[in-house]
Amino acid sequence: MMRTPAGHKVYAMAAEYPSAAALYEAAKHVRDAGFKRWDVYSPFPIHGMDDAMGLGKSWLSGWVLFGGVTGLLTAALVEFGPSSILYQLDVHGKPWNFWTVPAFFPIMFELTVLFGAFAAFFSMLGMNGLPRWYHPMFNWERFIRVSNDGFFLAIESRDPRFTENGVRELLERSGGEHITIVHED
Amino acid sequence: MSERSHTAPKPEGEYFESSRFTGLSSILGLTAIVALALCVVGAFLNPHQFSYSWLFAFAFFFTLCAGCFFWTIVHHATDSDWSVVVRRQLENIGVLLVVLAILFVPILLLRRHLYSWMDIPPGVEHSLDAKRAYLNWSFFLIRAVVFLGFFLCAALVLRRLSVNQDKDGNPRFTILMRKVAFISLPMFALCLTFGAFDWLMSLNYHWFSTMFGVYIFAGAAGSSMSLLVLVITALRRAGYLNGVITLEHYHIMGKWMLAFTIFWAYIGFGQYMLIWYANIPEETQFFITRNTESWWALSTLLVVGRFFISFPILLMQSVKKEPRRLCMVAGWIVCMQMLDMYIIVLPALHGTGVHVSVWDLLSLIAIGATLGFVYLRIVPRTSLFPVRDPRLIESLNLVN
Repeated sequence: MMRTPAGHKVYAMAAEYPSAAALYEAAKHVRDAGFKRWDVYSPFPIHGMDDAMGLGKSWLSGWVLFGGVTGLLTAALVEFGPSSILYQLDVHGKPWNFWTVPAFFPIMFELTVLFGAFAAFFSMLGMNGLPRWYHPMFNWERFIRVSNDGFFLAIESRDPRFTENGVRELLERSGGEHITIVHED
Repeated sequence: MSERSHTAPKPEGEYFESSRFTGLSSILGLTAIVALALCVVGAFLNPHQFSYSWLFAFAFFFTLCAGCFFWTIVHHATDSDWSVVVRRQLENIGVLLVVLAILFVPILLLRRHLYSWMDIPPGVEHSLDAKRAYLNWSFFLIRAVVFLGFFLCAALVLRRLSVNQDKDGNPRFTILMRKVAFISLPMFALCLTFGAFDWLMSLNYHWFSTMFGVYIFAGAAGSSMSLLVLVITALRRAGYLNGVITLEHYHIMGKWMLAFTIFWAYIGFGQYMLIWYANIPEETQFFITRNTESWWALSTLLVVGRFFISFPILLMQSVKKEPRRLCMVAGWIVCMQMLDMYIIVLPALHGTGVHVSVWDLLSLIAIGATLGFVYLRIVPRTSLFPVRDPRLIESLNLVN
């Protein structure tokens, strides 16, 4: 763990950019330099930023599929279990074997959607490391503008390629301003 | 990652050279003439069977073309940017509704074979007498004229405005088209719903389903998006639109196919379950015919093929972003739409089981070849995409 001379843990080295376009170009620089642990911060989503950052496909969809299948199987269990096995009920002379399944479709559909939505929501939180009470980037007083008109890029110190001089030089070359070390706590 | 176009499209647009495809065009034209002539023979030889076969083929192509018209008006009404580059082909397929309006005439001529309610005198059937205010020949004819008239006028106007914009890029046309689209959306819903009631549901005048119009719409929207994928890919194969339509556009078209696969299943099942559960004789007879005898096999194939096979395949991003794979699914969905229309129309004639007739095939070929021939005539007349649409650049640089 890197520390500043004053003894603070180093979270990242960050820079500010004048516009969304400048941030977009800077992201390509950092991506091409091979960094993995870094992020950009902007007041609004920037189209094409995931390509510029070299982000791959998000596997949130895998968790949603898992949630959906779980929901489907749960519905099958709670419907066929009681109605076909535990207490067979004759409704309108309709069958209680497998072929009564159309009557069960709505619940299967709803639980698939419900569990899929839960999986999407909670996996999104998990994959983003949320909920989180405080983010180290807020230790930098300029960063307060991120929800207004500031565009920031931070390369984290846990990235294996992180060296103070190398990163500073890279950020300078990519057009970053106010380059600074951000403390962890 | 998407393939990015590195060459900007030419400002004068891309034009389809019909001289390269005279062979295909003449084959289609010849096939159309021969098949239409044979269909006339069929109409005299076996009018009963032929009228159902023709209605089936008509319903299949009508839903495809009306679906493309639907996507055009949705594009304008929502002011969307992704679909600008594919819009001209939607318009080209949409104006084929003019040809379909002419091909509707045999249904009017053969109406007595198709719609038994036209022959039953008042006082015989109480359930029919209660519906006489709606189900009578003159009102039927007026409605048919209104529905088809709306479709062909709106399709022609939208294409005309869009082609005019190619010349000067005046944004006035965009606003005009949007206004036409706003009026067309509710009109489209009414015309398609009541068209489905008139031409398909009234084959059995006892039966009714309030969801039937939405069901036809769901199939039309999904299958016409699939048809668009096929047409676009065919044009790209022929060397057109390659710098214009990217994999990002394919991805969106694939998403729409997935969405309407789900929507079709949702509506189809909703219609089935309510009727199955309520168990009212005049409602269940529609499904009893189609779920018994050899129709059962086709109905099962439809449910499995249209939803249970298409759905998981279309979930995969790798399929939606790969034109060759997406085309295979799109072709499959168009075939399933054909099966869907077959199962709606033909059991009304052959209630005891599947009875494939040569007229089914001939009607399909006749209408299909005619539309294909006319399409090849329409395409070369304008640029293959709207070259001066104000949103063209946004559409070219699409990322999703």
